[in-house]
Amino acid sequence: MKSTATSATAAGLRSQGPVGRGEWAGDRAKSQILNPQSQIPNPKSAAPGTLLETLLGVLAAGLLTAAILAVFLYAPTELTMHHAQRILYAHVSVAWLGLLGFVVMAASGLLYLLRRDLSCDQWSQAAAELGWLCCGLTLVTGSLWARAAWLTWWTWDPRLTSSFVLWLIYSGYLVARANVEDPERRARISAVLAICGLLDVPLVVLAAHWFRGMHPGVPDMEPPMRAVLLLSVIGLSAFFVLLFLRRRGQLRMESRIAALEQRLNV
Amino acid sequence: MAAKLWWMIHKDLVSECRARRVWPAMLLLGTVVALVFTVQMDLLPTEKRRMVGSLLWLAIFFAGMLAIDRSFASEREDGCWEGLLLCPISPTAVYLAKLVVNVVALAALQCVLIPLFIVLSDVPLLARPGAMLLTALLGNLGIAAVGTLLSALATAVRPNGNLLVLLVLPLVIPVVLAAAEATRLIAEGDLGAPWWRWVQLLGAFAVIFVTAGAVLFDFVIED
Repeated sequence: MKSTATSATAAGLRSQGPVGRGEWAGDRAKSQILNPQSQIPNPKSAAPGTLLETLLGVLAAGLLTAAILAVFLYAPTELTMHHAQRILYAHVSVAWLGLLGFVVMAASGLLYLLRRDLSCDQWSQAAAELGWLCCGLTLVTGSLWARAAWLTWWTWDPRLTSSFVLWLIYSGYLVARANVEDPERRARISAVLAICGLLDVPLVVLAAHWFRGMHPGVPDMEPPMRAVLLLSVIGLSAFFVLLFLRRRGQLRMESRIAALEQRLNV
Repeated sequence: MAAKLWWMIHKDLVSECRARRVWPAMLLLGTVVALVFTVQMDLLPTEKRRMVGSLLWLAIFFAGMLAIDRSFASEREDGCWEGLLLCPISPTAVYLAKLVVNVVALAALQCVLIPLFIVLSDVPLLARPGAMLLTALLGNLGIAAVGTLLSALATAVRPNGNLLVLLVLPLVIPVVLAAAEATRLIAEGDLGAPWWRWVQLLGAFAVIFVTAGAVLFDFVIED
């Protein structure tokens, strides 16, 4: 076993030369897998629970606790919708994160196409998974809000419709990812899909807006309500970033394990 | 460039005319879908006019995907694809040629489906032929622009799977919505500002995604 690994390392080192212009992308990925130094990150950097993540975890826990307490104890009760209005604090936060996830997914996809660095693809995947979740929660909370406000579970409101389409685009992206084995090809294909998705967003919003429209605009909120909303948005965003970093670390570990397996099998 | 583009389009059209692999299936599916949709439309004439646009465009989309799905399938046989890539042609030109072929396929489909919907539902879709032509052309361009790019991508993902519809439909929802609304306004004889707004949306979509496809196609076909 040991001699196999050594020869694989030697093969990897041999293929590590100046990258020729005509070299195939597949060869480049292969040489990266064979070459332990370039592919396998330092175990310490891939270890879960870095200092940043711990700090962020503490921050998110504190902010979220404060936000939940504030939503139920501090925020004034709205006149017409009573307690149901408190859905708003969660709804606006996850809606914003769903959109943020989309932008991060497409931006890291573009970065991958430009730099061909597989870690960009891990950013993209982590953002897509979390964005998909937040988009789904936006639909659920939006539907609950609609039931409380307009006595119907669903309205063809532009923003709700756009969120639904975004959720479908996210889902398509994740399904396509799951169908490709080769990491380099998967990264390339997902990047193209993510960019197409982002280009589609303004058109979806316009179409949904012209189709039928009656979302509550930005209403005049009482200052305490505004403060609670801000607190919930910041708290959930911190939690989102924490999950995002953890998921990304997990994906990095996964690729490291795959590289090690590859090395043992060669 | 123009001559090369023409020869690639010519090649695809001639091989389709000779082998008749995809277009008959597409036209037949469109006819079946049109029948299934219109047979359930037992409504008042005003309600029919409101609905027929969406049904027409859904039929066009689902039948058209059959042709778009196969845009690159024939190239996978006998090393055609490698041969095409070895030719001194830019990937953008390959994309544009496939796009034109798909637009022609969708136009052929509409030549069957629009008269069929007029006959089966008794809604005057061709009362304003110019407006209908513009709507149909821009709608085709939007669907084909996304479809061609993702068809190359889906062929790479799963050579004989049906992933394409799943990936394309969410992205072309603005096209289907805008084209359906524009068609509804044509059927209702109202070519005012709202109609023009939907046509502008179709135009914007076509411009954005033809450009995106021409740029991104290079990355899709790398292997």
